[in-house]
This record gives sequence, C-alpha cells and structure tokens, in this order.
Amino acid sequence: MIWRIGSVLVRAFVTLLMVAALNFVLFRVIPGDPAAMLLGGARSSATAEQIDAQRERWGLDRPLIPDQVLQYLSATAQGDLGYSFKFRGRRVSDLIIERLPATLLLVGLAQGVAIFCGVTLGLYAGWRRGGAIDHVTTGTSLALYSTPPFWLGMLLVVVFSTMLGWLPGYGSYSPGLVNADLLDWFGDRTGHLALPVLAIALGLIGQYVVVARAAMSDVVTEDYMVTARAKGLTSGQMLRRHAFRNALLPVVTLVTLNLGYVVAGAITVESVFAWPGIGSLTVEALNARDYPVLQGIFLLLGASIVAANLLADVAYGLLDPRVR
Amino acid sequence: MNNPSSIPAIPLLAVERLAVDYGLKGVSLPAIRDVTFELHSGKAVALVGESGSGKTTTAMAIAGLLSPNAVVSGGEVRYRGSRIPIDDDAAMRPHRWRDTSVIFQGAMNALNPVQRVSNQIAEPCRLKLGMSRKAATERAAELLELVGISAERGAAYPHELSGGMRQRVMIAMALACHPSLVIGDEPTTALDVITQAQILKLLAELRSRLNLALILITHDLSVVAESCDRVMIMYAGRIVEDGNVADIFANPMHPYSRLLIESIPDPQQGRRVVRPIPGDPPTLQNRPSGCAFRYRCPSAMAICATDIPRLISTGQGRVACHLYPSTNEEMVSPNV
Amino acid sequence: MRENVLVELKESQSPQHVRVNAIKSFLAQFLRNNGARLGLLTLAFFVVLAAVPGVLVGPLQTAASATGDFLTAPSREHLLGTDDVGRDVINLVVHGSRISLTIALVSTIISLLVGTTVGLTAGYFGRWVDIWLMRLTDFFFVIPSFVLALVITPVVLQHMGRGGTIIGLRPSLMVIIIVIGLTSWAFVARIVRSQTLSLRERQFVERAKVVGTGNLKIMVSHLLPNLVPQIAANGAIVVAGAIYTETALSFLGLGDPLQPSWGTLLSLAQRAGAASSGAWWYLGAPGLCVLIVSLAFVMIGNALDDTFNPRRRAIP
Repeated sequence: MIWRIGSVLVRAFVTLLMVAALNFVLFRVIPGDPAAMLLGGARSSATAEQIDAQRERWGLDRPLIPDQVLQYLSATAQGDLGYSFKFRGRRVSDLIIERLPATLLLVGLAQGVAIFCGVTLGLYAGWRRGGAIDHVTTGTSLALYSTPPFWLGMLLVVVFSTMLGWLPGYGSYSPGLVNADLLDWFGDRTGHLALPVLAIALGLIGQYVVVARAAMSDVVTEDYMVTARAKGLTSGQMLRRHAFRNALLPVVTLVTLNLGYVVAGAITVESVFAWPGIGSLTVEALNARDYPVLQGIFLLLGASIVAANLLADVAYGLLDPRVR
Repeated sequence: MNNPSSIPAIPLLAVERLAVDYGLKGVSLPAIRDVTFELHSGKAVALVGESGSGKTTTAMAIAGLLSPNAVVSGGEVRYRGSRIPIDDDAAMRPHRWRDTSVIFQGAMNALNPVQRVSNQIAEPCRLKLGMSRKAATERAAELLELVGISAERGAAYPHELSGGMRQRVMIAMALACHPSLVIGDEPTTALDVITQAQILKLLAELRSRLNLALILITHDLSVVAESCDRVMIMYAGRIVEDGNVADIFANPMHPYSRLLIESIPDPQQGRRVVRPIPGDPPTLQNRPSGCAFRYRCPSAMAICATDIPRLISTGQGRVACHLYPSTNEEMVSPNV
Repeated sequence: MRENVLVELKESQSPQHVRVNAIKSFLAQFLRNNGARLGLLTLAFFVVLAAVPGVLVGPLQTAASATGDFLTAPSREHLLGTDDVGRDVINLVVHGSRISLTIALVSTIISLLVGTTVGLTAGYFGRWVDIWLMRLTDFFFVIPSFVLALVITPVVLQHMGRGGTIIGLRPSLMVIIIVIGLTSWAFVARIVRSQTLSLRERQFVERAKVVGTGNLKIMVSHLLPNLVPQIAANGAIVVAGAIYTETALSFLGLGDPLQPSWGTLLSLAQRAGAASSGAWWYLGAPGLCVLIVSLAFVMIGNALDDTFNPRRRAIP
C-alpha cells in the first residue's frame, strides 16, 4: 500500500513537471518579445536599456533549452509566476490568490449541493429501477448533463432576476451595502450565490444521477446480491450492507476526478454572472493578451487536475480492497 | 430421524407438479412443468441437465429465490409437510438460510468483493439468529475450521482466496444458520478436478455429520457419481428420468440419459473419445410439441410428436418416455 | 434423425455474408431502442437544417439586411423574435446549425483518427511503444484542454490573420476544429487501446501472424473492423463533448460573428444584454439547439453501447 502511494505520487509529480514544461513552451512560442511585453507592451515607457536589463535578469538572452526552462521551473517552484501585463506591476501569484476564494466558494458549494442531491437520487433510482418516476428522473438528468451551464445561467438570470426579480444576477455582493449587520450581509452574499451555484450544480446533478444510477444498476445484478437475498436479508439490509459500498466505487472516482475540472468549467459561468473569481480573471486575461496570468492559471488548473487524479487513485485504493 | 434404516413418514421436502413461467416482454414462457419429487433428510439428489433444462429454476423455486419476472403457474412446494409461499418474497424471508440455504458458484462474484469473508459468514448469524457481533465472529471461525480453512484466513477478502477456498467459504456460510436442506448450484463447475474432488468429499462429510439433505445442480455426470445417492435428469423443463445413481449409470432407461452416460469418456469401456450429443437443447422459446427430445432422439416414434410422455414408476425409479408405456399408473410415487 | 452437427457446419457462409448479416442484425437491434430512434430523428432534422440553410430561411441576415425591430419578442413575422440589430432569430439559428454541426463533426473525426491511431498502435505493439504512447495520452488527459484551447486559438489566429476561408469556413473556426480535435483524442485512445489489448489475444490475430500478414494489414483489416462498435459508441459521446467545447469557446468570444455558431450567437446575446433585458428568445433558441443536439448524440451513444454490450438477461 505504501509502495503504491509512493509510485502514484512520483507519477503525479512527473506529470506536474511535464505540465509546467508545456506551459513554458507554449508561451514562449507566442510571437513578440517577452521582455518588452513583460515590461508593459508597446505603450510602455520603458527605455531600451531597461528592457535589456530586464531581459538579462530573467535570462531571456540565454538559450531556450535548458537554461530558460530550468529558470522558469525553479522560479515557479518558488511561487514566482511572473508579473501581469494588464495589471501593471502586480504579481501573477497575488492576482490568483486574490481571486481564488470566490471561485472555490462557488464551485465548492455547487459540488456539495450536487453530490448531496445527485448521488443520493441516482443511487435510489438505480435501486428501484423502472416506473414513471425513474424514467422522468433519468431523462431530466440526461438533459441537465447535456446542458451548457453558462446557458442555464443565462436562463436563470432571465427568469429569476429579470422577470421575477427575486435574485441578483450579477457579481458576488451588492456594492451599495455598507454598514450592514451580519444577517443582511449574509443574506446578500447568499442571494448572489444562489443563481451561479444553481447553474453549475444542476449540470453536475445530472451527471451524478446518471452515473450513480448506472453504478447501482450494475451492482443490483451482481451475484453477491443474489447471495444476500438468499440469506434472507431485507431489501434495506441488502442495500445498506452490500449494494451501497460497491455502487459507491465508480461514483467516488467520478466526484474526485471532477474536482480537478470544475474550476475550468466555472470559467464560462463566472463570465455570465460577472463573478469575481479565477474564471473571469481568465477571460479578462484572454482579452488583454495577458500571457503571464494565463500561464499561471494554466499551471494552476493543470496542478489541480493532477492533484484530483491523485486523490481519486488514493480514494479508490482505500475503498476497493481488490486494488490494494 | 437419524436412524438410517427407518424412513420417516413426512419427507423433508415435497415438490408436487411444480410449474414456473418466465414473463419476457409480455410473453409468458414455460420454464418447468410437472416437476414432482420428494427428498428426505440426509439424502442427496443431483439435478442434471443441459442449459434450459429447468434444473436451476427448480432449485431456485425450492429456495424461494425466483427472479421477479417468474410466475408460479401451478403446483406447490412443501417443507416438512407444510406449503411454503415460494412466490411471496417477503413471506419467504424467515425461511431463507434457516431452513434452506444455497451454495452458489464461489468462483464468480457470489461473495461481496469489498467485505472480509468472516464478516460475510457471520452476517446471517447476526441478522437471522440475533447473535452478538462477538458470538457471530466466533461462530464464523468455527465454521471456517469445519470446512478446512484456518480461522485467521477469515480476515481475507474474497479475491485473496483461491477458487477452492472461496467455495469452502460459501459452504461455511451456507451452514451458518443450521439449515436442514442445502442446495448446491454448480458448486464445483469452475474448479479443477483435484479441488473438485476435495469439495465433494467435504460436502459428503458434512452431509453425514449434520444430516443435511442436499440438492446438487450440475451438468457434469462425473460429479454426480461421486456425491449423490440419487439423480434426476431434466430436459426442456421436465423430469425425464429419476433413480439411484448406480441404476442409472448401469442401465439408463431414457434415451437422453443413455446418450448422457455414453458421452462420458470411459477408457475401461473402450470409450476414449468424448462423444457429444448431436444438436442443441431447445431454448425456452422454441420447445417442440410432444416430447421435446424427439429431434435428437435415436428412438423417436410417431407418438412422440403429439403426446408429452408422462413420468411413470418403473422397477428402478421413474422415467418419462413413450418407450415405456404407462400401465394406468398416472403419477408417481417418488423414489426414496 | 439429425445428422452430425459437424457436417452442417461445412455449408457455412462466406465472410462477407456473415458480416452483412451481422450488420443487419445489429441495425435491427439498435433501431429497436427508443433513445436511438429519437436521437436519430432529431439529428436528421438538424442535419437537414445544416445542409441547406439558405433554402429554408434565405441567406444569413446581417445588420444591413435585418428584417425586424431591435430585440422584439416572438411574433407572427418572427416566430423566435429578433436580435439586438433586428435580425430574425430563426434565420440566425438555422445558419448557426451549419457551423456548430460542422465544427463538432469534423473535430470529432480528427479526434477519432488520432485517438484510434494512437490506441491501436499502443495496444498492438505493446511494451515500449505502449508505455510511451500511454504516457503521452495520460498527459493529454491531464492538461486542462479547455484552457489550452482558449489560449492557443487567439495566438494562432494572430499568426494567421482573420481573412479568407478554408473549405468554406473562416480561419478562427478551422482553428477551433483543429484545437478541439487535438485536445480530445486521449479519451478515444484509451478505449481503443484496451479493446485492442483484448482483441490481440484472439485466434484470428494469431492466424494472421502465422500466415505472415504484415502488422499494418493486421491492424487495419483485422483489428480495426472489430473496433468500430466501440469507436462508434464512444464517438457519439465525443461529438457531444465537441459541441459543448465549441459552444463554450465561441461564447467566450473565439468564434466568428460572420459565421456565427450557436455559441457565437449566445456570446452576442450576452454582450447585447439579452439576459438582463429579458430577451429569452434570443438566448433561449441557440442554447436549446445545443442542448437538443447534445442530448440526441448522448442517446445515440447510449443506444449504441447497449446494442454492443447487452446486459442483464431476463432468463437466468
């Protein structure tokens, strides 16, 4: 078991290195002089000497491979992700750290809601297959799964914000709310969270229902369920003691893997709701051709996917004794 | 009850004219028809047949484990004289494992892959007999020793055990609630010959020690020869022959039985080559009219196409074949 | 009395005969699935829209040739209302179907080609080839492909310029096609590889090798036909994914307003403030089309999967 975790960790680290290397290569391929761009682009007031000095300091006059690669990797390992083009003088790592909590809140809540509703509904539907409710649930879940979350977000805004006026459809808080007490502040934040969380959560619920239902459906036909029935166990006992743990295996894998991708998935939703997180930072950086920021985000997302894969591996090993 | 020379009045198990259908997309297909036999404590009978013969359906019906799309369309099953509600899942629950237990093919997924084997053995002790966790674990250890596995192996998961050991675990599990009748569903099919012999020997020991009645489902006649007193051969949902193992092997009456016996390679009798029976058994959907075996039968006659042969008593058991016309003995006093 | 079964086997059918029969029986089984029928019907509808949009609704409307008032709700003249410059939404959506479907299908073809090649090669040759190809595949699995596409596209566009068309599509769309194709093949590669691994051990491969058939011929003539079911079933899912990715990329502004896909229409709607002004028809129609087409492909994929891997026998 220790050996297995060790080898998985090593593989993950190597993958991370490869992601970082790709990151480096990708952005060096971009046309234009990195130093000039890094110092503020064509409209910068930096002199030629300053640009040269900066180029030297960042080692840009040294060969690409291996010097620049290594320099980039070592800088990254120390947390130095460079400086933003758009937000002059601000460090990329600062920008990312500043915006990350908003995204984590959004995505974390959405995942929580989706897991709670989707997995339980799916497991239940898989256990009691057939009937009108099952078909409706499956059909709706498939539809939700196939729906682009940002479009769902726009629809939610139209209905709940524009037409009904119940919830705000923009930003993460009301700017005019000052000196409010805790309850008002909390209510305001929650109100702003509601629609974006829903937009992301509904699609995830669809996915989890489909997968959980399929997992439970497969388990129900397994031979050990016949054994359980033969032993005279009640339906509830069969479900709790035998079906549940086995059905959970693929579900846990999916949920854990998803954790790596949801931040990327939030990009479009944050754009719809002007949510001040990593997603909208990505779009802003994209529009401004702010490559250092994009590079930093790419690395962040790559790292989170690698971490999620690692977590999924470990979790599966814990749950399934056959893998150990 | 334990006196081998006296025959108790009421058999442990009595099956009378049992008929089961499977519902498939609105169509009702006959699985078994007219299945009648008795079984006494401590006796072992083998149910032999090819796929589609109904042997599994018969056994599952007796255990009350028919699938949801199965319908009992006739007859009944009696346990110690009283009728058991084999078509009522909830009503059968108290009977399950305590009166009748099942040994499935352990080589497949019949054991929960994420649970330790001693927990799986202890489970019915706790849930059905109300034993405490500690007492159930001890009983599980006892049962493991009984089947020849050291108690420490109880902490293993099913995939960590060999096929033979998994089968032993299944046997241990089946004995947990002191059943009187054990049904073995192809318990040795996936095992190599040596392990097969060990398992059969184990079953024989346990049978005599615990006075168990045993129904052994198999398609392998060589298994039958070693382990059972009596064999019932089924074809296309009906019993075609029933008798002592020795009699049937020496003098099979039904043409199907004869072909089955002859298909076993037996160097001593000059049969070095496996001779399978030509053709395939009919599926549920396309059973022939009259005697279902007639297309493959070397002795088929005109009447075989129109009349279903009835199961009649003969000197050495029962047979359902037009070669042995009935003499006013309609139904059957089943053999002991 | 029946003859020996072995004799009957001699009058076996030719390989082509067997294959045609297999295909026929598969189609019959597949079409019995409700999801498959519904999916195919839906798909057919949209393919018709995509094939001849000009015939159905006339040429793509521009700001100059707009026929209605700005952002009007659905009415008799404009069944799905108008956009912020007065164009008929139905016109936009029908033309958009052409772009969205073309991008999705072509990028899927690229993805399937690359993925199958990689998976087949890795699975067939094994050992070092397999290890390195799988490392590559795993790598592609891990990198955030959406962000990658997001970053690469404008860069390539900057290089290439935005003018002219390539096979009828404007450059930004071509770039999107290639980018999606190159970032989504890992999924297919893995599946093809595992199928190849299990097929490799089968007798017909052994026989072909013994006879001296070249590796390439074995892969293409023997293994590939057996892989088609798996590829098809997963291909449907890949298309659904491609539709989603293209829609998202276009929504974020990487599409081309002169050849708007549904995603581009959504982006235009968003920028025009359709959500906050309640113009549900403008943003509803393109999105609904994406949803319906994705769903159709998912259902077809599921039906294909069910047909190739039947589970659960009703009679034990």
